Amino acid sequence: MQSPVNNEHHLLAALAAGDRTATEQIYQQHFKIVNGWLIKNGGTSADAADVFQEAMVVLFGKAENEDFRLTCSIGTYLFAVSKRLWYKKLQRQSRDPVSLKYDTEGEEDEYGVAHEEDINVHHEREVHYEQLNTALDQIGEPCRSLLKAFYHNDKSMQEIAADFGYTNPENAKTQKYKCLTRLRKLFYGVQAK
Amino acid sequence: MIEVAESYLSGSLPEADLKELNSRLASDVSFANEFHECVNLVRSLEGNGKQKRFRAMLRDVHEKQNAVPVKKTRLINFTPQSWRTAAVAASVAILTSTITIWSLKPSIKKTDSQYSTISREVEHIKRVQAGQQAEQNKLRDIISKNTKAAPPSDVRYTGTGFALTNDGYFVTAYHVIGSDFDSVYIQTHDGQYYKAFLLNYSKENDIAILKVEKKNFHFGKGELPYTFASSKVGLGAHIFTLGYPKEDLVYSEGYISSKNGYQGNEQQYTLQLPAGHGQSGSPVVDENGDILGLLTAISSQAEANTYAVSSKAMISLLHTSTANDISSHLPKVNRLGKLSGAEQVEKMEAYTFSVKVYKK
Repeated sequence: MQSPVNNEHHLLAALAAGDRTATEQIYQQHFKIVNGWLIKNGGTSADAADVFQEAMVVLFGKAENEDFRLTCSIGTYLFAVSKRLWYKKLQRQSRDPVSLKYDTEGEEDEYGVAHEEDINVHHEREVHYEQLNTALDQIGEPCRSLLKAFYHNDKSMQEIAADFGYTNPENAKTQKYKCLTRLRKLFYGVQAK
Repeated sequence: MIEVAESYLSGSLPEADLKELNSRLASDVSFANEFHECVNLVRSLEGNGKQKRFRAMLRDVHEKQNAVPVKKTRLINFTPQSWRTAAVAASVAILTSTITIWSLKPSIKKTDSQYSTISREVEHIKRVQAGQQAEQNKLRDIISKNTKAAPPSDVRYTGTGFALTNDGYFVTAYHVIGSDFDSVYIQTHDGQYYKAFLLNYSKENDIAILKVEKKNFHFGKGELPYTFASSKVGLGAHIFTLGYPKEDLVYSEGYISSKNGYQGNEQQYTLQLPAGHGQSGSPVVDENGDILGLLTAISSQAEANTYAVSSKAMISLLHTSTANDISSHLPKVNRLGKLSGAEQVEKMEAYTFSVKVYKK
């Protein structure tokens, strides 16, 4: 067995690469705790799944970054981020000051500020992706389906050529670049507004 | 330029080109800006796609690890060959119980509406049964006996439908329409009838796409308040449905109890949700106001599992249909997410309606 630290390092690298086994392992190890905590704090299992998955995406976004170092264990990180996300969600859902008392709890959050930063970065990215998707939805066919097939569904140019009835992958590629040019105009138009 | 940005990002740009690029980036500011726009665009597209796949994987991992052992379903007892067989069995069960109640209380005078309810169900069974042959002989005997018991009235099937676009495209379950219909009408919540025609359908997935004939028709004042989930959501998601099992709109709620549908059908969900005849084709909506699917079948009369075709299957039918433009006109902005349950229902009322099918 590798040492835990080493192991976690590998695990994160695998996670960043979208490796399923690593994802399963992390999920298996850490979801239960978050689930238990969330249910004690007014959530349901469905909420726990939402929150935990969002935290995993935050971690995924960070792990993708090459110079990323986690200052605590994966479990601690996921738990802390999940908590923050849940509090934020509660805050959004209700203006009831009683539910805000956790803010004064102080807790063990010595990394709290760093996590807050991670979550903010994550939200900005989500907004950015949202705008991108809006642009994608407005671009019209066949560009919308073609770009989605390539970027979202990870299809090869060969598959796309076959699915969309292009005579060869080269033609599909040319079309893809045309679409990207259009998307660029649309997207940066949307952002400028 | 995008092509260059792409190979620049993937690191496949030849060294000479890279040098040239770098020197131009250093000297030409407006070129550098444009180039960075391209790089950002490609990077965002890739990042977004990667994240989407990661999220999908997470949901899948979650479902696999947290699959609630589903209670032994009573379907097993029937060991049915197909979905249709189960539907026959289920309908027979309902029919038999209805008939039993009726024969137990012969003194109670029946109203017309009760009669038509029975005939609707009988008709449903007959149609389902049409596809079944010798294997169903036993059941058929029961059915034909019962058919005699029910008075033949104006034969029609009813179901529920909901809008795909505000200008008249809508969806319902295919079995509501069937293959031998004469005409299809919808009756909206304000009691108006509109004629509709069939555009496309998938018998296998039990989806039919129709359009209201009337020109300049609109379901409601604004764009649709809901959006369509493009991928399947996980177990335990709370859902509700609106449908027309009777003349008035009926609300019921439940949750997703299993990721796949009948016999592991991946195009479906299994729901814990009370539903009855006439609710086929009803929208299944989650708390955020996303349409997750449409109701298609129930398994038996007591402790019923309800099955819904996923919105994913609906969307892929839209993509394959010749009326290619519908899928790009699907609503993109969700106006239900922040509303309470009652408000969501109110907003959806105009977009959910009864579908009435007249036979040849």
